[in-house]
Amino acid sequence: MIQVENITKQYALSKKQRKELQTNSTSISAVNNVSFTCKPGSVFSLLGPNGAGKTTLLRMISTILTPSSGDIKVDDVSVIENPQEVRRRIGFLTGSTNLYDRLTPGEIVKYFADLHGLDASIFKERKEQLFEQLNINEFSKKRIGQLSTGMKQKVSIARSMIHDPSVVIFDEPTSGLDVITANSIIELIRQCKQDGKTVIFSSHIMSEVDLLCDDLAIIAKGNLIYNDTMDAFRKQSEGKSLTEAFINIVNQNN
Amino acid sequence: MKTIFTVIKKELTDTLRDKKTLFSAILLPALAMPLLLLGVTKLQQNLLNKEQNKQLKVALIGAPQNIVSQFKDTTFVLVNDIALAGVKDSINNGSLDAVLEFKPDFQEKVSSLQSGGLNLYYKSTNLMVEKRIREKLDSYKSIVMNDRIKQLELSSEALEPLSISKIDIASPKEQIGKMIGGFIPYIFIIFCFMGCMYPALDLITGEKERGTIETLLTVPASRFKILMGKTITIALIGISAALMTIAGMFVGLKFIDGIPPDFLNAINDILGLKFILMLFAMLIPLSVFFAGLLSAIVVRASSFKEAQSYVTPLSFVIIIPAMIALMPGVELTWQTVWIPILNIALATKEIIAGTIQPAHYIVVVGSLILLAIVAVFFSLKQFSKETMVLK
Repeated sequence: MIQVENITKQYALSKKQRKELQTNSTSISAVNNVSFTCKPGSVFSLLGPNGAGKTTLLRMISTILTPSSGDIKVDDVSVIENPQEVRRRIGFLTGSTNLYDRLTPGEIVKYFADLHGLDASIFKERKEQLFEQLNINEFSKKRIGQLSTGMKQKVSIARSMIHDPSVVIFDEPTSGLDVITANSIIELIRQCKQDGKTVIFSSHIMSEVDLLCDDLAIIAKGNLIYNDTMDAFRKQSEGKSLTEAFINIVNQNN
Repeated sequence: MKTIFTVIKKELTDTLRDKKTLFSAILLPALAMPLLLLGVTKLQQNLLNKEQNKQLKVALIGAPQNIVSQFKDTTFVLVNDIALAGVKDSINNGSLDAVLEFKPDFQEKVSSLQSGGLNLYYKSTNLMVEKRIREKLDSYKSIVMNDRIKQLELSSEALEPLSISKIDIASPKEQIGKMIGGFIPYIFIIFCFMGCMYPALDLITGEKERGTIETLLTVPASRFKILMGKTITIALIGISAALMTIAGMFVGLKFIDGIPPDFLNAINDILGLKFILMLFAMLIPLSVFFAGLLSAIVVRASSFKEAQSYVTPLSFVIIIPAMIALMPGVELTWQTVWIPILNIALATKEIIAGTIQPAHYIVVVGSLILLAIVAVFFSLKQFSKETMVLK
């Protein structure tokens, strides 16, 4: 469960930045008073054009950034009051995540398991299960630098899921990946849903959203402009393609 | 503690698999000194030999026969019939190395117990020319001296009123301390810094450039512990670079010919457990200081290139105090003991010479530890800023 409550993120602007942006205000809002809820066992998708604030929002949920105001509760734990506890419950994966080139998949997964404080026996079991599921065993002793993008993405998945998080956050997980590799991510998202996890992912690929998502939110320029179930969105699109409907909503609020 | 250890283990595995780190932190420092020492001594010997054995073309104008006979050996070519007017040109264009012009009354004056005058034309930029000619003139001089002593019925002591026996109470250790004592810390401080530099870029900026930092920030392990693990790894590599420099230097010295046995014995004497322990006690906080400082600075860079442009000026800041310690007369006092880098260089010099005062040493180590803590605290501050950590 993720509850986003009136969240705002402001960045202070330096003199130089103010000049560049041709503005007199001393700060800029990347995310502005946004609220929504993601339910366990369902997939929530966050849509928005480039620069809308999707990444900032997801980074706040994953405690990488601290909100300027408002709060986010992950399984009823506040990211502001107890970020450490939130981190135990989340798995974070982005399409652009890289890995340490000189380590092997086995070493990387072990490193993150240790940083999560996983017990040796639980780690062994989880690792065997994940490596089996993702076919990592074939290359688990090779260094990351020698692996293909698809193989690396599988290792990234294993690394994000090793501690069996109840909430999974994907930031444009398929961007830059080929269809086959992207499919492994889509499979993963389905699996997470089946396992009853809370899944939130950002994307601007409507086909992906259509395939997976139960609820969606659209943000533009840091503001929430649409938040409903996928079924409602489909109904609202009135026979137009989902991409068109998405563009319409964004343009209406411009 | 477990987290710090986990991070150190991972970072060491990661960074030691990098050939660039291995080269800059282990191989280069180990080989730098032996190669430098060997190269310089060999080159110097070669040049000296060459200059010593080169045939010198010398013209003697108006020289008495007993001087001419001094120059009759294979290392000199005597040129006759030289006009005084062309002397400077001949020396400038290299057709002559030197000209000795004897005054017309030279022989007369020498015979009458006076000083005979002569002009020596040469270029001081041609090494060894003056020295080799003086050797010849000196042997003529001693013949004349002996004649005069006999003629005046003097004892040779009459002309040598002082008889000095030098008793040097500086131990070989102290002599070495003075001679190369400043050079040793200069070299290891620089290599320690360079040893920290590459891993700092790799472990801190590298996480940002590769985009691995985001995931690292979503783990429940505390950021302080992650940073400590990284700092310790960077410091460990810096220490190993410094130790490799020192080891390389001492091993190198054993393989170079022509070092007096006294000197070698003294070096073995210096390399005792006490020296190593005292050095370690300074090196550890120094490396942690470098690691903390470098981390704090490179954390704001989002690419290696940017990080390098921050770090390069810093290396000058480090080198300058280390260089000051090389200057003669700069010693460890209650003033210099507080100046970072300079104090460790001067203290090393004193430790080698065996003349360090315990109170000075304690202040040096204490101030280095304090500096290390400040640097780590500063880097933690930087690391906690979200604008610093994310691109």
